[in-house]
Amino acid sequence: MGDNKTSKSHTHSSTSPCAHLRAAYHNCFNRWYSEKFVKGEWKKEECVSEWQKYRACLAEHLDDKHLSRFLEADTLVIDNVNESPTPT
Amino acid sequence: MHQKYSIIGNKIFLLAEKLITTVIKKSLSFSLWDSVGLLLHSLQHLNNQNNPQRETIKNIMVRAYTQEHVYKHPWERVTSASWRKFVDPENKRILSHILEVDTLNRKLDPESGKLYTTRAITVHTPGPWFIRKIIGQDICHCVESTVVDGQSRSMQLSSQNISLQKFVEVVEKIRYDPHPDNPNEWTICRQETSIRIKPLSALASMAEKVEQRCAERFVQNSAKGREVMERICKYLEAESRGISL
Repeated sequence: MGDNKTSKSHTHSSTSPCAHLRAAYHNCFNRWYSEKFVKGEWKKEECVSEWQKYRACLAEHLDDKHLSRFLEADTLVIDNVNESPTPT
Repeated sequence: MHQKYSIIGNKIFLLAEKLITTVIKKSLSFSLWDSVGLLLHSLQHLNNQNNPQRETIKNIMVRAYTQEHVYKHPWERVTSASWRKFVDPENKRILSHILEVDTLNRKLDPESGKLYTTRAITVHTPGPWFIRKIIGQDICHCVESTVVDGQSRSMQLSSQNISLQKFVEVVEKIRYDPHPDNPNEWTICRQETSIRIKPLSALASMAEKVEQRCAERFVQNSAKGREVMERICKYLEAESRGISL
């Protein structure tokens, strides 16, 4: 009998084994974004170690092939953004 | 043959248009994906009924809708809120259809001040218990690409579903820009949504049933979405005051 439903948390996200690393990275990023990036301090990338740990976990656990494709991509393919709605 | 096709096709077109109009006009960014499961469920159900029209009408219909919303907060705060919308734990209770948000890729160009991000958003499809059995899954993956231009102060998001594409393709584009009338205090959000549904015949026959449930759902979710964005903005405002004091 698989017993992988005995999660103590009430949220869905805790089912992911990367949840803690993800939260650590997102917290770091959100702080950097609102305190540094939007103020023009974008020369230096931060949260690098959080990012590396989180990404390594994703690489191990992301089993959806469609999603792994994006993870492995060295350069981002942003095909739709250029056609974003423009002021009328 | 051709005439029959166009009569049926026309009727179907009208029905489908009615459905989509209702649905999309009431939707907001992330709430949109909530509809995918519901539509799917209906389409699959019809396919199982061996509907003869399914073979003859393979039209694909695309519709696009735009919305605008003005946040009475500066661009810096609104875009910060946008990053936090699905991620903050206290919002997860409200936005319960968002299951997971993972950042798959991120790249900062330190010269131009551009930040590129790819995120995966996993959405729980709504509907009754048997949905999992019918469509074989009860989640939908969406991929969101974002470019933030720190220099010119613009944020552009583009997202689309990557699962369930044989039934429906939804593309959403959102821009956050400083409001031209008050660029340092207000932010304008422009959103364009296009939905491509196939096969058309299946959708139309179910249109009326689906319509009501989708509409109810969207009204709930779009209200929730603005509520969450406004609340995060207020929180960030209070936080920045605290820091500056």
